[in-house]
Amino acid sequence: MNCEDARQFMLLAGFGELSFEEEEALELHLASCPECQAAHARNASLESLLAQAELEPPAGLLARCRRDLAVRIGEESAPRRRFSIDRVWNRWIVHPPMWLRPVGALAMLAAGFFAARIMPESPMLARFTGGASEPASIARVRLVHAAGPGQVRVQYDEIRQRELTGSLQDDQIRSMLISAAADPSDPGLRVDTMDLLKNHCERDEVRQVLLQALQNDPNSGVRLKALDGLKAYAREPETRQALAEVVQRDDNPGVRVQAIDLLLQNRSEPEVVGLLQELMRREENNYIRSRSQKALREMKASVDTF
Amino acid sequence: MDEAALIRAAQTGDHDAFERLVRSYDQSVLKLSMNLLRSPDDAQDVYQEAFLRVYRNINSFRFDCSFHTWLYRIVTNLCLDQLRKRKVRKTEPSTVETPEGTVDRLETTPEYRPHSDPQRSLLSTEIKRKIEDTLSQMSARERMVFEMRHYQGMRLRAIGEILGTSEEAAKNCLFRATQKMRTALGDLL
Repeated sequence: MNCEDARQFMLLAGFGELSFEEEEALELHLASCPECQAAHARNASLESLLAQAELEPPAGLLARCRRDLAVRIGEESAPRRRFSIDRVWNRWIVHPPMWLRPVGALAMLAAGFFAARIMPESPMLARFTGGASEPASIARVRLVHAAGPGQVRVQYDEIRQRELTGSLQDDQIRSMLISAAADPSDPGLRVDTMDLLKNHCERDEVRQVLLQALQNDPNSGVRLKALDGLKAYAREPETRQALAEVVQRDDNPGVRVQAIDLLLQNRSEPEVVGLLQELMRREENNYIRSRSQKALREMKASVDTF
Repeated sequence: MDEAALIRAAQTGDHDAFERLVRSYDQSVLKLSMNLLRSPDDAQDVYQEAFLRVYRNINSFRFDCSFHTWLYRIVTNLCLDQLRKRKVRKTEPSTVETPEGTVDRLETTPEYRPHSDPQRSLLSTEIKRKIEDTLSQMSARERMVFEMRHYQGMRLRAIGEILGTSEEAAKNCLFRATQKMRTALGDLL
């Protein structure tokens, strides 16, 4: 195999698209060609960089898509009628078109605004809000129906934004961060939260959050942040167990490489050799395999498990 | 109920079966559209249109290929149309106007917003911008193959089937796309 073939094979090897023979030929070439080894390492870095640009659909988009699809399908499957009050009610009030929703929301806000001007302020409500909170916004209208002559009853959810400032020593701040770290709807928020929590791993509860994220978060950016935070605890059995899991199960090669790096910081630990040998047997990513092979040789251990 | 049974039930007009079919694929359809089009509104349009087409044409599905392949053919055709329309309209500006002023388009995306370490944040923004620029310079087909392979983890054979081409052609397309990306990110690798 020449270098040109090897460069093509490297890409396919990263995707697990090579046959056994092709992979063997590539391995042989890599073992004797430092330039291709370097190119191979660059491929692994490329994967890791690309993971950073992966987009997750914004929170709520899937639910909106499902709801709108159900409405469109309902319309398509309903028998055609010339005019029906039910249909108009359903189409314009219960499931209004997307363009009408902001108009409806604005109308409701305006109604709320004028109602607040007319109604006397409730002392209890004023005490609860502290009189200085942001105005609430309407998240979703849940129910509308006629409530007597000329009256409509509207039930809706509202979101009120609050702000809290404090250090990570503050229990309330820490508990909010721990809750944000598990928010499935916003990977960006989880990345930012990990970034803050990772410097406070001396607390057991924070370390548990990082371990949990490392093993279970679907976003590789979050998992990398968690790994970063756990560096100082790479000797602890619980962390080592999580790292071993990640090395064997994580679908992102960049995360697996970093987990191996951490495990190799304490290569005297008895499980390391077995794990590397297992990787030599099962790992599809050639860069990780060559890294494991190199580490095994440095540790004067057998590359195979026999 | 397995997938074939769900499809058959949906073909007889069973709405629940159709909904279950939609739900087994719609997350990955939305994610693919979102990554290809980089716009939640366009991704939502593709989602709606794709599943409506499936709904209207489910009776013509004859199990000649997998349902996954059939659905993704519809989705990728819709995305290709969108991407080609964009090429005609010229590429979208790389900045957008927000109440805080002009910001990079990628900064408005929901993913990965580190800000505690300014140097890393800067590097991350630069990486994302380069990736975004390179994706927009790829042909619609190269971009499609690249996204399906890198972000959806699909096999080249499946990608070839979806795009109505051979595995070899999909492979060549992937090489070209990856080479472009590698060249663009060269100094960061």
